[in-house]
Amino acid sequence: MSIAAGPIRGLQEVARDPRSWWGRSKGNVELWANLVVLGWALVFMLWRGGGFAITVGSVFAIWAVLAVSLNLVVGYTGLLSVGHIGFFGIGAYAMAVLTSSASYEQLRTEAIPTFGWPFFAALPISVVLAGLVALVVGIAFNRFRDDIYVLVSFGFAVIAFTTFLSWRNLTRGAFGIHQVARPAIGPLVFDGELEFLALLLVFLGLVVLISWLIVTSSFGRVLTAIREDEEAIEVFGYRTTHYKLAIWVISAMMAGLAGALLASWSTFIDPNSFVLLESVLLVSIVILGGLASIWGSLLGALAFVMLEEGMRFVPFLPSEFIGQIRQVILGILLVLLMLFRPQGLVGRFKL
Amino acid sequence: MSAARFRDVSIANFLKIREQHSRLLAAALTAAIVAYIGWKIVQSPEQALQFAFNGLAVGAVYALLAMGFTFVYSTVWFFDLYYGAAAAIGAYGVFYLRSHDVLGGQYAVNSGPVNVLFAVITAGVVAWALHVLLYRRFHTRAQPRTLLVIGGFLAAAVGVYTALVLANPANLHVLLSPLIAVLVAGAATWGLHHGYRRVVAQATRGPLAAIMAVAVAVGVLVATLVANTPSLGLYLSWGVACLLSGTVSLALYRGLYVTMRERANSPLIMLVASLGILLAITAFITIVFRAAPRPLPDTFGSEPWTIGGANIKGFNVFAIGLALAGFGVLLFMVKKTAFGKAVRAIGDDEEVAKVVGINTTVVIAIVFFIGAVYAALAGLVSGHDTAIQPRMGLLLLLKGWIASVVGGIGSLYGAIVGGFALGMLEQFGIWDLAGEWRDVISFIVLIVFLSFWPQGLIPRK
Repeated sequence: MSIAAGPIRGLQEVARDPRSWWGRSKGNVELWANLVVLGWALVFMLWRGGGFAITVGSVFAIWAVLAVSLNLVVGYTGLLSVGHIGFFGIGAYAMAVLTSSASYEQLRTEAIPTFGWPFFAALPISVVLAGLVALVVGIAFNRFRDDIYVLVSFGFAVIAFTTFLSWRNLTRGAFGIHQVARPAIGPLVFDGELEFLALLLVFLGLVVLISWLIVTSSFGRVLTAIREDEEAIEVFGYRTTHYKLAIWVISAMMAGLAGALLASWSTFIDPNSFVLLESVLLVSIVILGGLASIWGSLLGALAFVMLEEGMRFVPFLPSEFIGQIRQVILGILLVLLMLFRPQGLVGRFKL
Repeated sequence: MSAARFRDVSIANFLKIREQHSRLLAAALTAAIVAYIGWKIVQSPEQALQFAFNGLAVGAVYALLAMGFTFVYSTVWFFDLYYGAAAAIGAYGVFYLRSHDVLGGQYAVNSGPVNVLFAVITAGVVAWALHVLLYRRFHTRAQPRTLLVIGGFLAAAVGVYTALVLANPANLHVLLSPLIAVLVAGAATWGLHHGYRRVVAQATRGPLAAIMAVAVAVGVLVATLVANTPSLGLYLSWGVACLLSGTVSLALYRGLYVTMRERANSPLIMLVASLGILLAITAFITIVFRAAPRPLPDTFGSEPWTIGGANIKGFNVFAIGLALAGFGVLLFMVKKTAFGKAVRAIGDDEEVAKVVGINTTVVIAIVFFIGAVYAALAGLVSGHDTAIQPRMGLLLLLKGWIASVVGGIGSLYGAIVGGFALGMLEQFGIWDLAGEWRDVISFIVLIVFLSFWPQGLIPRK
């Protein structure tokens, strides 16, 4: 299945028979979801201009990497993990600790070791570290299923958050880490927003490409089979443990990449970015966009980002409530989706 | 090689450890934990006693949570994550009603839209309850339209009354006295009537008019006493908060879960939908009350008692008693009453229960109501013990969930044992660490238990 299946199928339908287009597509939820979200994003970009588009694009790219990586686990393999934000945080903290060049003596708060590595040296370390943690966690979690999996993955998110908050010798706890390095290749430093957006999009493209290769390969088909009936595929002689562990580690590495990018993009991180609720929001992005559909995850991330940005311009809405109102809307959307469309907007798999 | 052999893909299996070795590992782990706690106790008995008291105090909250959670779970067999929001509603309900009393009223909250919202929810739930409970009994005696008007009027009256109570929290004792009069009179009528029939004249009707007169007199007396005791406001607000939480859960059940269970009875779909509800309610609470932690008003027993060199607050003793009493009530309900029989039948097989004539919708609704009341009690007890914040719902939910899994999911005895055990393990675990690691410890306990004793301490039979 192609990542652009949604829009292309919609356009094909229009081309085939323009006159009866309305009659045919008024019940096509996928088409309308694509049109509304993409159109909304486009209108907003045109209205607010380039600077806005760059910021929103960067936020979108980070969420999209996360959503695509989580979809590999939730959508394709059927393991409803609510703890992915932990890997995101591990990547972010690895990047921040390794590349931060702040001197904390003048801040009069707890000091942590300063390494001052360049971005591209720290990036593989943060990705691999997320993968290693995922390997350990995955071995422990492999026997769990369904609702118990949800509970233990909640647990992983809580453990990760507490570690970020309480391991003060490494993370400075609630103070956060300042001055995370921006990427640089020789003389080319990605310190402008536009350059960084380009870098983010390159990484997003890479993640989407890898995910696409995974889900269209025989490996991906085994994952889908595990989701549909794990015992059946075991009887055929597949070691589902190893497959689940492999996709879990790959997905965690992608999340770690997203975290490293976030740390570098915002140049400051604190544990508040990795609370449990963010993790739940991430799951709702994946379910909203569509399970077992890479395009769906991109769409979900775009819808999520545009929802927040769109609410900034609603009159009479106090800005401190935007995050909360977004959360209310997402919660209600989750309920409605579970009622009427359990596969999400453009998904292929019903929960 | 059977599929069952494959299914057990545990840590032990992954590391190629055989079954008996896995048991050995579990035994060694248990021995290590026992040895660690024993060593700690020998090292400083007084401190150990202090941690044990703390563990019991925390364990009471967890036990309350786990009991309600496992009661609901063992009936409908999906994890209802609204449960966490129910705990938060309980705690914030008390805060809402007593906020003029907290720190000189600087955080006082009373918003019209919230009152109206709860009035509408209550009216809707009452209308549904009247329809379900009384319509069948009366529809042969009166026109449907008459019943509709009467029922609608009653529901609207209850809604207006709710709004009135919520809008005047300072006069809770006065406003609630009519309700208390009605409740006490009803309870007294029922008790006297049954007592008369049991003791005096078996199986005949008692002198109903006389009994009712006595009961009404008792009700009015109690209500007058309550109306003249402003200091009861806090305890009345506990009751109101529990009722509100239960009402919201009834509204959710009838408004959403019934439909969802008809459409797709998949535990994961229900779980995700209730997760959405938890998200929405948490955000709603944050909008109304702000994200910062708030204290609940002072209650009795806030000064510590010293027993054997360790301190425990009187309120914590009350909480432990509340947990034990809640366990007794729930156990009595499940084992001894017709309602409990119906609940167990639904838990065993809902379709069959429906076939043999159990009104499953009503029974499950009551189960949800009771579960939400237990959650609200746990929420307000923990709120009085520490402080309240909107995120507490999710955290309490997770603790209740863990405690019920550790105790043995679906088992009431397991819930109370698991709750106290989790509280103790948590407290002894943070002895050498800082207090902020307690959530981590409880999740590690959970993962260890799921890996070695997936059935829990006291499995459901």
